[in-house]
This record gives sequence, structure tokens and C-alpha cells, in this order.
Amino acid sequence: MTNVLWVRASMWSRLIVYVLLIGAAAWTLMPFAWAIVNSVKTLADTFQAGAIIPFVDFTPTLKSWDEVLSDPQVVRAFVSSIVVSAGTTVFVLLLGVPAAYSLARFEFPIDSNDITLWFLSQRVLPPAVVLVPFYLLMVQFRLIDTWTGLIFCYSTFNLAFAVVIMRDIFRDVSTEIEDAAKVEGASAWQVFWMIALPLSLDGLVVTSVLVFAFSWNEALFASALTSQDAMTFSALVLASRSTRGVDFNIASVNTLIGIIPPVILYFFVQRYLARGLSFGAVKG
Amino acid sequence: MNHDATDRFKELACDYLRRRMGRRQFLAMAAELGFSAAVLSRLIRPARAALLDSSPDAPYESPISPERVAFLKTKPYRGTTINVMVLKATVGDGLKYHVPHWEAETGGKVNVAEVPIETLHTQIFSDLTSGLGRYDAYMTGAWFYGDFFQPQDPYIVALDRFLSDPRHPYWEPDQWLPAMKTLYTWQGKLYGVLFDGDAQALYYRKDVFTNPDVQAKFKAKTGYDLPAPPKTMKQMHDLADFFTGWDWNQDGSKDWGISLHAKVNEQGFFHFLTLAGPYVISPENKYFFFNPDTMKPLINSEGHVRALEDYVKFVSNGPQEQISWTLGQGWNLFLAGHAVMEPTWGDLPTLAQDPKESKVAGKIGACPIPGTTEAFNPILGQWKTYDLNQVGNTNGGSWHCVISRFSKKQDATYDFLAFMANRKNAFFNCSNGWTGVQPGMRYEYLPPAGTSSIAEWQAQGWNTADTAEYLHAYYQELSMPVQEEHLRIPGTAEYWHELDVNVSSVLAGQTKPKAALDATAAAWETITERYGRSAQKALYQASFKT
Amino acid sequence: MAAARISRGQYGARLKYVLLLPAVVWVVAFTFLPLVSVIRYSFAAYVLGRGITGYVGLANYIEVVNSARFWHSIMVTAIYVAVSVPVEVALGFLMAWLVHLGPPGTRTFRTIIGAPLFTMEVAIGYLGVTMFSSQGGLIAVLLAKIGIDIPWLSSAWGGLAAAIVLDIWRWTSFMFLIVLAGLGSITTELYDAAILDAKNHWQVMWRLAVPLAWPVTSIAILLRTIESLKVFAIPFALTTGGPGTSTEVFSATDYLTTIQFFDFGKGSAMGIVFLIMVSAVITVFFRQMRRRLG
Repeated sequence: MTNVLWVRASMWSRLIVYVLLIGAAAWTLMPFAWAIVNSVKTLADTFQAGAIIPFVDFTPTLKSWDEVLSDPQVVRAFVSSIVVSAGTTVFVLLLGVPAAYSLARFEFPIDSNDITLWFLSQRVLPPAVVLVPFYLLMVQFRLIDTWTGLIFCYSTFNLAFAVVIMRDIFRDVSTEIEDAAKVEGASAWQVFWMIALPLSLDGLVVTSVLVFAFSWNEALFASALTSQDAMTFSALVLASRSTRGVDFNIASVNTLIGIIPPVILYFFVQRYLARGLSFGAVKG
Repeated sequence: MNHDATDRFKELACDYLRRRMGRRQFLAMAAELGFSAAVLSRLIRPARAALLDSSPDAPYESPISPERVAFLKTKPYRGTTINVMVLKATVGDGLKYHVPHWEAETGGKVNVAEVPIETLHTQIFSDLTSGLGRYDAYMTGAWFYGDFFQPQDPYIVALDRFLSDPRHPYWEPDQWLPAMKTLYTWQGKLYGVLFDGDAQALYYRKDVFTNPDVQAKFKAKTGYDLPAPPKTMKQMHDLADFFTGWDWNQDGSKDWGISLHAKVNEQGFFHFLTLAGPYVISPENKYFFFNPDTMKPLINSEGHVRALEDYVKFVSNGPQEQISWTLGQGWNLFLAGHAVMEPTWGDLPTLAQDPKESKVAGKIGACPIPGTTEAFNPILGQWKTYDLNQVGNTNGGSWHCVISRFSKKQDATYDFLAFMANRKNAFFNCSNGWTGVQPGMRYEYLPPAGTSSIAEWQAQGWNTADTAEYLHAYYQELSMPVQEEHLRIPGTAEYWHELDVNVSSVLAGQTKPKAALDATAAAWETITERYGRSAQKALYQASFKT
Repeated sequence: MAAARISRGQYGARLKYVLLLPAVVWVVAFTFLPLVSVIRYSFAAYVLGRGITGYVGLANYIEVVNSARFWHSIMVTAIYVAVSVPVEVALGFLMAWLVHLGPPGTRTFRTIIGAPLFTMEVAIGYLGVTMFSSQGGLIAVLLAKIGIDIPWLSSAWGGLAAAIVLDIWRWTSFMFLIVLAGLGSITTELYDAAILDAKNHWQVMWRLAVPLAWPVTSIAILLRTIESLKVFAIPFALTTGGPGTSTEVFSATDYLTTIQFFDFGKGSAMGIVFLIMVSAVITVFFRQMRRRLG
């Protein structure tokens, strides 16, 4: 990372940068703050106009948190989400990374750009359209309300995404080392496994984080394909509704709980993101 | 019938009546002689042992039959697990409350899956159409019934064979208010076990309406005495207008004449259905949705259009944002004391008793939905004047459980459902607001309508004055001779959604009432075509036969 | 780039297929079959409880193309995407650039600004209901302090605006993360060179960072646009397509038709029409992008 620009910047520039950054941070944090405020209200309080500052406008209570955390269904759903998201990520990497490398390095009878475009087009159909066929498929394979079923579905959605991103990452990875290894007599597999993969680690991390995040947040298929055993947390959030509409306090607690695992993951892999990827921008 | 047979029959009858022969044997032998067993079995009811008031073995059932007491001693459902799909919160919570009690009594186990309201229909029918049959019972809304009877073999099971078995918990379908019972039956047979009984009534701030200063102001403005309760739509509108825009509850902020909610897909359209009823339903006409001979929609008739034009006027009597409110948000305006009226379900006065939720306990007035002095007959196409045309309704979900045809544990499932319908449990449900259940049985109402008492309600935390108001109005709503029909044909959810969206668009000022209702009618025609006009027509006509 | 390509020969001749095929087979199996199923339904009349009652040729497609509600939802979606995506790109790029400059506290800013990507859209929609409420919602209160009163949830266009604001909040972090990763690859020497040339930071950004990060950014824009066209959760949770149909995006219309009303025939036809329309758009988009990269 370079500090060159910062070091050379004028006082005035630095001030503007900070003001903008703090503004951006405040803008980002505002809904979280609101979620926290709402999570310490009772349902009746959430309807109260002007109940904004705890202790001043209303009495905060931990009842909503208690209600959510002591519900075994919540814990189960949380575990389900972790299993499904992690499973999807692993599966997608297993299938997608080799495919991406292949598209980046080799020639095929069909232009690899077109193959990539085909992969991309898989993401166009809105989930609502394919929900029914997927549902029926899962019914046939008896995978309704199972983790495996959901992992299969999510992998399908995210595979395209992973292939497209990883392909560009591989195209960017310098081939000098690979060429050198080839000269030494390494097989294609060895080149892939021992050289290309490690060099593309940053890209792998980015892809994993994004696939994990997408799987974690997906609610539509989760609520359609699971109900008791494998219900994920996002499906549970979708269900923070009662006959009188949304339970805003419960939904807020759920939002906050739901954000924890992905953010922890993100926190740990930040440094990989920082190292930079060029997606083919810098050659040689 | 020859002479010998008649004599022989007399002999058999004597033997039976002197208890020398069992009922079954009598019926069998009479049948051999040529007497219809079906007719006879109706005349001769099986002797039931007298009901006990309660039993120490079954603390949660009252009344209870001795057969049941004996049955429970065998822990009949030990090892049996039943799966029930319910609505998340309110009625779902109500059901969950009874689960451990039933499990302790019978040894069975109940798995409850909670589903949010807008996916309930989808989840039920996905499960049924897939044939997976993962659930033994579903909590259903009254308007899903049509869809259950779509296939040749209906998806749900009739209750006759369970009802005559004294080993199951005792409950009284005969105690039902007729308008409510209809929703649980189809073509004469009972399919649903008692749980909730929804109807919309008008709730208002009695303390404000009976305040002399307020009354004087009202008379000064309109020229007539403040009607408490309002009887006609015009009076309701005048009241709403009068109470909008000034601080009549003395809390420092301007208040409102009415509270509604109209977010799409959140049951907001029931407000329109309820308030439009008196414009079209009358002693001369019971059809609100379709013409029973042609299955053409009636929804854009002159009466409906006028009803919508009047309904729109209410929007300015409440916060503009109520067009995007959920049900809870609408209730809150009234419970916090800022709205003087709200036409809605019985959850409102029930919630009002809870000091954590409301500031208006003890101040509730209730009355049936106001009527009109002029109603339109959409079949004949003409208006008619009345002194007062008031219409009852059963608008709402009236959520209750039905048993799936695919269930392999139908007896156990019925047992659980009947347990909750037993008088003691049913009364608990309807008098505790968080269950979302409203009274539908005579024994839940106060005399002279029913056999309950103020003390029973007070014991559950109700304010005396509110109880009397609420029960009286609710009972009237359900027992009015002229009732608004409850649509129960296949695709009801779809028909109503079209109406919901179009009404919402009028409320937002995007469309005019006539255009919106015409669009609704056109959309309804498409839906009817898709389901098959003749099939829909047959089912529509059948749904009126109770 | 030619040096990077392995020409056809013994090296990797078989491996390339071994590496590629599992993914292709999977995608074919799990997307081709459902797609065929969708196409089949689109030619059928389906009724809940009775299944497919017959095949009706192009009737569903004609109904869809004649449906005002369908076109309205396309329009709402188009407005939604046309407003939110450019704003997200611009804001995301700007924030990435600012963080990239490396002021003290960069890591904190990076964490905070990237966090929204990990929230659930449904939850954000629900949060929005009380946040935008004119009855004391956070936004209403804050705006009132500077004298602005926007009818977020009480008017047709207000609902759409609120949904777009939430969308921007959540998805800017997506652009931010990807652009940031892309910017990280620009080497120090390039910066030194640029700084000698440029008059101020903004010129450095425009002349250097934007072009160099363009490959990254363009992929991200493409992906984001495709995702955005499928938008569902935020507007649905916020206003369920209302008031009226003013916030009903295409996915919502399709969801209601297919999932809520079990009208598989019409819903599938809708989906196919949408697929054709969007595929055409992204093919053009993709080809343009490839051309600019050379």
C-alpha cells in the first residue's frame, strides 16, 4: 500500500478527505445505530413516534434480545446458515477455480469469452423464476429441508460468479514463473496446483468472501426450500413477521445477530483485499 | 314392508329399549328386515355417558367425558409425533401454548413449524401439491378453503368420524354462532376445528364520545347530537371529519378521526371489504363478489364504486402514511390514544387491556360496522333506500387447523385440535389477547346472548366496561341476519390481491375509484378463465350452501 | 497476452477439459434442466391443485406482453437500476479512492464502509419501514431538523426513493471493496510519476486511478447491474410493491405471480421474456467492455 499520496497531500486536502470519510462512515453506521436502538425497545415502543434516544425517549430493555437468543430455533438457524454458507463456498471453489484457470490459460473450440458470457448469463434469471423448477427438483431428490439441497442450489447460483472473477484473476497472474516451471518439466497440473493457485490467493479470498456473503444473505430460496430442520438464519429474518406485520424489534435483533459471522470473516481477510488485485490491468 | 317384518321390528325395538340388545346389533337386524340403518342410526343416538365437569387426570379439559378420562390413562399417543404448520405469532403462539399440556396428557409430541402470514398459503399448498405430506395439520385462513377442494380428492379430511368418538376431547360445534360455523364447513360437512373467529367491528373512544364539551362542539358544527355509537356511514364520516386535526385527547399534539392501514399484502384491503359491505349487501342481495349465474365480477358496480369513493375520504382523516402501514402500526395509533375510531378485528380491544401496549384501557366503545340508508343491488342494477341497512361480516382469517389427507396420524392430530377447542381452552384463547383468538361460541358471550359471565373475563384481566362493550358489539356483528359473504373459491388470495393493489393505488392518489375497480374486474375475469369459469361458478354457488 | 496463452499441444491438452468440465456439467445440469422446465411451464396452463391443465401455445406470452402490470414493473426496475447503480459506482469509487490514500485509521474506515455488504437485504427493508416513517422515524426526525419533509412512505415516488436510498447504502460497499482491491495493484512508481505531472489529488485520481482501475470497475459494474436487475428483497420488504404498484419491481411481480398465486404458466413466460431482454443487454455490454480492454 502506498502512503505516497497522503504524505504529499496538503493540509487542506487532508481535511477534505477526512471530512468525506467521516461522513461516509457516519452514513454507513446510521442504520446500524437505528437497529441497535430498535433492538432494545419493546414492540409497543417501536411504534412510538419520536422514540429515538434510549433513556431519554424510552426505557431500553433487553427483552427482545432475550427472546431471540433463548429461542432454540434461532441457534439452529444460525448454525444452518454457517454450514450452508461455508459448504457453498467450499463447493464453489472446488468446481469453479479449476474451471476459471482452464478458461484463462487454455484455448477451446469455443472462444473462452463466449463461454464466460454463457456463465454470466446464468445469473440473469431472477430467482423467483427458477424457484419452482428448483423446488420440484429438490422434491424429486428428497433434498427439501436439508443442508445439502440448499448448498446445491446456492452453488449453482454462485458458480458463475466465481468463475468470472477468478478467470480474470488468473489472466492477470504473471506467466513468467509458469513458463519457467514448464521448461523445468512440470506438468500442467503441477503448474496449476503449486504455482498459479498460491499466486492467486488474494483473488481466492475475495471470491470466497463474496460467495459466503451472498449465500449468507439469500433469503428467498432458503424460506421456500427449508422449514424446520435446515432453516437458515436469513429465512428466519424473513419470518420476523407476525400477523400484525413486522416485529421491528425482533427484526432489528436479527439484523444485528445476522451480521456477525460475515463481518468477522471479513475482518480476518481484510489484509488480502488490501494487497491488491488487478484483474488484468497491469501486464508484466 | 310386510306385516311380519313390522311385528318383528317391534320386537327388536322392545328388546333394544329394554337394553336387552346393543345398538349395533339392533341396527344390523333392523337392516336385514329392510329398515334403513342410516335413518335409524340418526334417530337413535349412542348413549353417551354424562359429562364430567373436570377430572384431576386432565386438568386442562372441562367438560370432559368419562370415556376420555379412561382413554387418557392409557397414554394413547405415546410415541406418536404430529407436525403442525401454524402462523407465526398471535394465533401460532396461542396454539403453542397448549402443546405441552396436550403432550403431558396424552404422551404424544407436537412439532410446530411457524410460518409468516404471507407465505402461509404458499407453504401449505407447496407441501400438499408435492405429495410430501410432511405436515399432519395446517393452520389455515378461511379463504383458503376453495383451494383445498380443487382436486378430485380434497386435500383435507372431514371431521364426522371423529366427532362421534367420545374418547376425543369434547367440544361443541353446535354452540357456534352460525355465521362463524359456516367458515369451518364446506357443503354441509365440518372440516375445521374451532380456533379463531374473526369479524371486524368498529371500536371507538367511548370516553371522548360521551364527553359533554365534545358533544356540544359536535352539535355546534353539524347540527345534530353526537351519535355514540354511529349507525350510518354518513355519521361515521362526520365523526371522522370532526375529530381530525385538533387535540381532543389533550396530549399536546393534533389527533385523528380514524386509523386504518393499507400496506399491500398486509390484509389492509379487509377495511375496504368491511366498509363497502353495506353499500351492496342487503336483505335483497347477498352477492358481493360475483354474479352466481354468470360468474362475472360485481366488484365494479355502482354500489362498489360509491363505497370506494367514500372509503377514500377516510384517508384524509388519518396520517397520510397509513397507506403504507402494517396492521400493528394501524392499531398503535388507536392504542396510543391518537385516533378516535378504528374498524378492525377484536385484537384491538384485547390488546387495549395491556398497560404495556395501550393507554386506552377502560375507554373502549364498540359497535357493529355502521350501515347505509341506500344500498345498490348489483344483480338487478338498482338502488334501494332503507331506514338502516346494517351488514354483519366475518372478514378476516378466522385461523384454524385442518387435517391433511396425507396424514398418517389423523386420530392423534384431531385429538390435539379438539383439545384446544375444548371449552376451557377455547375460553382461555379468546380472552387472552396475545393468542389472537376471538370468541365464536355462545358460551363465550355474556347473557342474554351466551352463558359466560363478567367474572370469567375479569379473571383473565379484562376491564369490566370494555368487556361488555366488546362482546356485545362482536356478537351483534356475527349474528346479524344480513351477512357479507366470505369468498372461499379457489384463487381467492389472487382475486383479493388484485383488489388490494388497485385500492392501494386509489388511496395513493394514482388512480380514480371507477378505473381501479374496472381494472380489478378485468383482472378477475382473467383469473376466472384460468381456473375454469364453470368450475368456479359451481364452487361459488356451492359455497353459499351451508 | 499472446505469451500467456498456451497453444494447442501436449501440454495440458487433457487437463484443460478435466478442469473445466465439472463446472460446466454442474451448471448445465442445474440450470439447463430448470430452464427447460420453465420453458415448458411457459407454454402450459397451470392451476393450483390440478397441475398442468393443458398446453396453450403462446397464450401466456401474449398475455405477458399485453400486461400493463408487467411493463410497469419493467419500468420501475429500469428506473431503480438506472438511478442506483451509477450512484453506487460513483460513491464506491470515491470512497475506495479516499481509503486508498492511506490516511491514519484506514483499516477502521475500510471495515466500516465495507460492512453493509454483509447485512441481509430483507432485514434492511424492514429496518427501513420504521427508519423512514414520518411518525418519528430516524430519517424523518433528522431531516425535520433541517426543515425538509419528504413523504417517503406516503407517496408513490417516495417509496421508490426510499428503496433506492437503502439499496445505495447497502451495495456501495460492493463497489467499494472491489475497486479498492483493484486500486491496490497500482504501484508506487506510477504514483510518483503521476504526482510530478498533476496539479492536485483529484487530477491524479482522474488521470491515473480511473483508467488503471477500469478493468476491475467494469467487471464490478457488469456484475452489479445484473444483480440489480433482479432486485427483490429491499423494495418488497419495505413496501411490498406499494402503494399501488409504484415500487413493484419485476422480481416482485414474478414472485407474486409464480409463488403466491401458483400461476406457473404466466410466471414462467414472464421470466423467459425478461431473460431474453436482459441477455440482449448484457451481451452488448460485455462485448463493449471487452473491446475497450483489447
